[in-house]
Amino acid sequence: MYRLHAAPDFASTITHLALVQLGVPFDLVNVDFEAGRLHTPAYRAINPLGLIPAMETPDGPIFETAAILMYLDERHPGVLAPAPGSAARAAYLSWFVFMNNTVHPLTMLLVHPERVAGEDVQAEVSHGVSAQLAEGLGHLDRALAVDPGLGHPAIGFYLAVLLRWMQKFAAVPADAIDPGPLPAIRALVAAVEAMPAAKRVAEAEGLGPTPFTAP
Amino acid sequence: MYVLHYAPDNASLIVRLYCEEAGIAYRCELVDRSTRAQDGPGYRRLNPAGLVPALETPDGPIAETGAILLWLTDRHGLWPDAALQGPFLQWLFYLSNAAHADLRRLFYPEYYAPPGSLPAHHDMAAARMVVHFTLLDAAATQYPALFAPQSALAPYVACLLRWSALYPRGQTGWFALDRWPALTQLAQVMDARTGTARVALAEGLGDRPFSAPTHPLPPEGSAT
Repeated sequence: MYRLHAAPDFASTITHLALVQLGVPFDLVNVDFEAGRLHTPAYRAINPLGLIPAMETPDGPIFETAAILMYLDERHPGVLAPAPGSAARAAYLSWFVFMNNTVHPLTMLLVHPERVAGEDVQAEVSHGVSAQLAEGLGHLDRALAVDPGLGHPAIGFYLAVLLRWMQKFAAVPADAIDPGPLPAIRALVAAVEAMPAAKRVAEAEGLGPTPFTAP
Repeated sequence: MYVLHYAPDNASLIVRLYCEEAGIAYRCELVDRSTRAQDGPGYRRLNPAGLVPALETPDGPIAETGAILLWLTDRHGLWPDAALQGPFLQWLFYLSNAAHADLRRLFYPEYYAPPGSLPAHHDMAAARMVVHFTLLDAAATQYPALFAPQSALAPYVACLLRWSALYPRGQTGWFALDRWPALTQLAQVMDARTGTARVALAEGLGDRPFSAPTHPLPPEGSAT
């Protein structure tokens, strides 16, 4: 049995989607981060970074969104991603890691531009981050247009949640990402939104009827 | 045979060291950064983002250091014991999306911060790197097998230590390897590997590329 330490509309939403899609039993533990729970020794023992999500497994706790997705994919192969050993794994991993080390951090900077160089310059920083993000999403959009089969659930779930935040939570609203020029990304995210797993998670986390296409 | 598209002392070094240690056959093809070959159409077909490295495989090209390491780990049966797979994955992704990403921001501040705020940007990124290395030092102490030379984590950590000591030139005062005993040991162990010696010779990295790094003098190509 897995125990996902989560909060609504956090990165845990991505792993929550994966668990529901896999249909494996799990407990969802809402972490009361406003009460400082992330900084307690008990939580730090599960995730030394003090971030959400973390997941307890029969093999011990794991943190990092992408690590949790990969761990679940290794344990329950063939649902979230192309099976290990299959030819599609090469392209899948390239874009999955790109999502995790480029799109995800840039999205967080769009939401928190003050983390780059302080609050004085956050408007300029936000503008640059938004441009970098649009460029990175453009690469992904072209890859998806050439090969729609790249839109495996692990990539679709990850992208859908990040795209929600890029549209809704940019610190400088003018720098929010407009998915208009990204047709392949829009198509993938619309397909994710229509999945039963997405409907169930959106309801459980209170994300509204169109959490990804019109958050 | 795999083709590793590389530039000396670039992130391709991590993949190259991993292949050497595991005995994975590969050949290198230079990406000439002095002519910005990484932005040319040929390279962009391998990696649309134009970053080094890319690995050509029978299943097509793979971009992103972390993706290449994971793919090779799978394909060559190099996973750690089942109980260590979770920690392996979490530290690999942490290296990729936090430590490596923050180090890139330290090296290329102009992509992130306006000119007047570069010192503030540097200090904030350097402070995060200190946190990353401190957590990695604790992890290497807790999981020695995961940070042994055969693991993909070891060359990744060793290279981040090397680059932190060298780049950006003149702004490395925040970094002191001896603050982190487990990482110091990792750097020394990696320095002593025969695979490291071969790669150091090929890329001009000197005798102790990880525990006492010097700027590269590559026989071909350019690090920047």
